[in-house]
Amino acid sequence: MSKTRKGQEDIFEIKWKTDLPYRYSIGKLAVKFFEELKENKKILGSKCPKCEKVHFPPRAVCADCFIKMTLDDMVELPPRGTLEGFTVVNYPFTDPSTGGIRPFPYGYALFKLDGADTYTMHFVNETDVTKMKIGQRVEAVFNDELIGDLTADIPYFRIIKEEE
Amino acid sequence: MTNKTAVVGIGQTKFRSKRRDVNIPEMIYEAVKMALDDAQLEPKDIDAIIIGNMDHFEGINFSELWTGIDAAPGYLKPVVKVATGGTTGSSLAICGYHNIASGIYDKVLVVGWEKLNEGGATTGIITAFDPVWERPSLAGALGPLALMAGMYSAKYGITSEQAAKVTVKNRSNAANNPYAHLQMPDITIDYVMSSQVISYPLRLHDCCPQSEGACALIYANEKEAKKITDTPAWFHAVETAHYYTFGTDDKMYDLPTATIASKKAYKRAGIKNPIKDLDVAEIYEPTSWSELSWTEALGFCKPGEGGKLLDEGITQMSGELPVNPSGGVLSTNPIGATALVRVAEAAIQIMDRGGKRQVPDVEKALAMGFGGSLWTEVMILGNEPLR
Repeated sequence: MSKTRKGQEDIFEIKWKTDLPYRYSIGKLAVKFFEELKENKKILGSKCPKCEKVHFPPRAVCADCFIKMTLDDMVELPPRGTLEGFTVVNYPFTDPSTGGIRPFPYGYALFKLDGADTYTMHFVNETDVTKMKIGQRVEAVFNDELIGDLTADIPYFRIIKEEE
Repeated sequence: MTNKTAVVGIGQTKFRSKRRDVNIPEMIYEAVKMALDDAQLEPKDIDAIIIGNMDHFEGINFSELWTGIDAAPGYLKPVVKVATGGTTGSSLAICGYHNIASGIYDKVLVVGWEKLNEGGATTGIITAFDPVWERPSLAGALGPLALMAGMYSAKYGITSEQAAKVTVKNRSNAANNPYAHLQMPDITIDYVMSSQVISYPLRLHDCCPQSEGACALIYANEKEAKKITDTPAWFHAVETAHYYTFGTDDKMYDLPTATIASKKAYKRAGIKNPIKDLDVAEIYEPTSWSELSWTEALGFCKPGEGGKLLDEGITQMSGELPVNPSGGVLSTNPIGATALVRVAEAAIQIMDRGGKRQVPDVEKALAMGFGGSLWTEVMILGNEPLR
């Protein structure tokens, strides 16, 4: 318990830090996604058997149709897409996944993988906003060693510059 | 047939960055006591209580057993807790409405609060999202809001100056609201434009603050409302529109849920032209850019014309449809209470109790909540029951 004096008031606070380890069942489709990522360097989405909308991230139910998607409905998507929006996060905060400050600044973007009907977000390897623009092509950069973890295996998407 | 439902008592704390002088029940008690006194009611007069905040921020799962029993005051009464992210306050407001409109209860108390600076706001927000797909790159609310602002700006040519003007409008309005957190009567566009870029195109002063405080409303049915006050603020419509699982499932601008929810609410409330038929709007704008975009989504103007609407002065205090006379979310953001404050301020305007922030002759007011994966809640209040 700490006590500090501020103005006329006595302010009492207690401070604590808590380690709260969790487990999270990621679901059948995500298990398949990470298996294919680790073993075959593939990115899978899920395609609704009724409306044929291709979802990324893959998920078990199509919101538009309320139809269940199974492992049989998973489709491969190319590791490339088109930039729809971008920013550079330039403020400090504690990352709840690590308990530490997430390194910043970092490039953060919204893009659509080729063949997907939904958008997705991930890190991008650019922290100069003048070098990013909507419509640029992006490509997943894979780590040499794949372990079945989204940001370890695909640390970021690379922005393909026009001259390339 | 639903029962007519009105706001008949209002309480809110003075919102501040930190309320280290009180714990949460003490803070809630301030707003609840004020609302009960306002309606000249005692705890025994309240049939049921609805409470809400987002547990992630304080790191404590405040159960009904604590806040609902002592401060709220829920001893021997039905208590329900609601937590829906940014919309917590509007979900509370709508749950309260359902409890009266359904005829189950005659008088209910609705309480929202947050002590946002007792934990990490950005960290807390991240924990509300999917651990596998969203948390790794998500930077709380501001990262996605920056993406949205950038796409919105690129599509419609909205400028940073126009966004800054929203902050100037709302924080100078806040100077007329004794409960607002950031009151800046002399704020200028230059001041906003020269603040640090924290997530392009968002500058520090394009963003809402983190606030601590509580808001409490008392609702009553028609018979009880008339005994309590001569100026009840009547609910004419409540609407909620949810969207996809992930905020990124669709393009992240134009807020389709605000269009869907507001169209339904306007139809229910008989509003044909929102600019003419509404007298004031309290909307949930987490950033300056959001207000411009949301005014379009709510049908105050056409898509892409939010900047023009502002430039023409329509949303200013002296304009045809003042938006956020209270100072809005850009001035005050105690997350679990934020959207409930929108309803409280709409009711204050209907009741003609706004003091320096009062808009003249308010007959119809809109309140909006926004949150989560881009969902929206819209409520319309009026000075007469909807017939």
